[in-house]
Amino acid sequence: MNSILIIIGKITVAVLRLFKRNAGNLPGIVLWHLTRGKCCKMFKVDCPIIAITGTNGKTSVTNCIAQLFEQNGKKIIINKEGNNLDTGICSLLLRHCTIGGKVDADYLIFETDESHVPVVYSQLKLETLVVLNFFRDQLDRNGEMETLIQKINGFCKTFEGNLILNGDDPNTARLGRANEKNSNVKYFHAQPYAFATKTIFEASEGRFCPFCGEPLEYEYYQYSHIGKFTCNKCGFGNYSPYITAENIDLEKSVFTADGHTYSPKLNSIYNIYNMTAVAAAAKLYDIPEKVTDNVISNYTINNGRMETFMLGDRKATLNLAKNPVGANMTLRVMNEMQTEKELLFVLNDNIADGLDVSWIWDINFSVFDRVTRVVTSGTRAYDIAVRIKCSGYPAEKITVRPDLDEAVAELAKTEGRKFVIANYTAVQPTRSALKRYSDSHGGNNE
Amino acid sequence: MNKIKILHMYADMLDLYGDSGNMEIISYRCKMRGIECEIHKYSIDSEMPDFSAYDLIYIGGGADLEQQHISEDLVKCREGIETAYKNGTFLFLICGGYQLMGKYYRDADGVEIPGLGLFDYYTIAEPDRRKRCIGNVVIRTEICGKSVDVAGFENHGGQTHGVETPLGEVLYGHGNRTKSSHEGYFEKNVIATYMHGPCLAKNPEISDYIICYCLNRNSGTAVELTALDDTLEKDCRQVMIDRLLKN
Repeated sequence: MNSILIIIGKITVAVLRLFKRNAGNLPGIVLWHLTRGKCCKMFKVDCPIIAITGTNGKTSVTNCIAQLFEQNGKKIIINKEGNNLDTGICSLLLRHCTIGGKVDADYLIFETDESHVPVVYSQLKLETLVVLNFFRDQLDRNGEMETLIQKINGFCKTFEGNLILNGDDPNTARLGRANEKNSNVKYFHAQPYAFATKTIFEASEGRFCPFCGEPLEYEYYQYSHIGKFTCNKCGFGNYSPYITAENIDLEKSVFTADGHTYSPKLNSIYNIYNMTAVAAAAKLYDIPEKVTDNVISNYTINNGRMETFMLGDRKATLNLAKNPVGANMTLRVMNEMQTEKELLFVLNDNIADGLDVSWIWDINFSVFDRVTRVVTSGTRAYDIAVRIKCSGYPAEKITVRPDLDEAVAELAKTEGRKFVIANYTAVQPTRSALKRYSDSHGGNNE
Repeated sequence: MNKIKILHMYADMLDLYGDSGNMEIISYRCKMRGIECEIHKYSIDSEMPDFSAYDLIYIGGGADLEQQHISEDLVKCREGIETAYKNGTFLFLICGGYQLMGKYYRDADGVEIPGLGLFDYYTIAEPDRRKRCIGNVVIRTEICGKSVDVAGFENHGGQTHGVETPLGEVLYGHGNRTKSSHEGYFEKNVIATYMHGPCLAKNPEISDYIICYCLNRNSGTAVELTALDDTLEKDCRQVMIDRLLKN
């Protein structure tokens, strides 16, 4: 029976390829229906599987962990295109398996959507689960965040493999208590960086202990609700870290973990957490220090995550923001820069964004420092304009240009430093519009 | 005196889909008119406030878990809130806040959370958690003395029954129950709704109805509000209404 299913799946892949279509998800959907929702069960996997999940940073961490093994000479399979649901993983494995369903690799490294962790890994044996963080993200698609955490928590109750958790995120760290018998729970942690605060700075979740309901005490907040927390009543948060990022210096872009100093290319506190998760995985799998250093120091991304464009002689930095945390991050970077600047905010409400855009009200625009003008664009250009206006920013300094090319032209017409924030489905069209402007007005992209 | 006193209840627990933004909007619209706006917060373990000292009590929405957390505490506030309401304090209630002022809320597991029973409606959550009323919503309301179409975003499993005086008629979306004809609950000093977004973001008429009520309640005379430039807000709403109703 399995072989028949796999043949059907492989034919689907072949047909899609014949017509030059992306076979990233559809073959899995076909098999999902044929197997009544158990489309990953037919594969025979003998090698370890490592899964990475969480709201922000999955793609970066998955790619880096894959590189750890790849540069160490191992054969890996990774879902690079971000097909991170059961159907996407099934489609990927179909391309790499024999007719008997055997998958040949040393390691499988899968970015996995938060809601699909229990679905996929009730069918495939998981060795290591890395959980980065939980933030409000596309709530209307995933259901409320608590439901999501409960789902993964349910999975962790019987999971006995390695669990690498962000120990500074109470929403994530709580998974460490799901299965008392699991002795393979490992927390990563970071010492405060220069902009860490004593009080909470941005809207957040997880303010109460999930076990006893007491307000959590924080020694410091790094960003949002990420920081050193403890529950004074039940002791939640008192753990000894498996690995700690220390001496974080974002100006020099360095941090130390386990006695080794890394120099990542992306210098934000968010990236430090991601790279600490990577270092934790490297430690667990005994990756040579030289390899880990090479991966962490060279990792960069050109997909709208702190990407630089030149609009004529004006420098613009584009950053993706899928949720308030991502947007607040760009505002932080903007504020940490001591000059005047302008902002373009592109907001879409396509299905993949989640139809609801109210998360923009959790962005802390009142911190705007020396922002001289704002342009808004996207299918919900007016919503973001209204939101910024109601934070007290002068309405006359806001220009709404739903058309992206017009918005970029509007942004580029004045001198000075530019920042661009775009949400999920807006980021690629925004990159294209920025490139079109560069092409027609000069300015080579870095 | 040109001042409004607001009590924002459970801001740290009930804040879904930008609900706290409603407070930012009210205080922004007051500030633009030189009206002083004092917002106090109340949450579990806060000292029991004098509810009647406030012109407006505001409660947002939350997930089932948070709603359970606060419901016990809310019951302790019952007398205070009821007296304030009877004395003319305005109640502005979103989603969970709306549900908990009714007789009861029965969650998806069948657990009944008692409401304050200020109003006769009651809410039963759809047992199938996947069947929620989710999406954009447009309603036609007459509360501002003229017919206005307002827009927001709803996401609720709760089905509210027994509403005699709704906030408006549903033009797009679900409203009080799956595919229902009406949305929310209204009295002259009560607006209860499932509209998040936040609710007031692109509906300045509702904000001004609330502000105006609170001011007149203080002065006892009919104060007219200074008009603000709401071009952005109204354009924002029109873009959504055109998109939703023309399809």
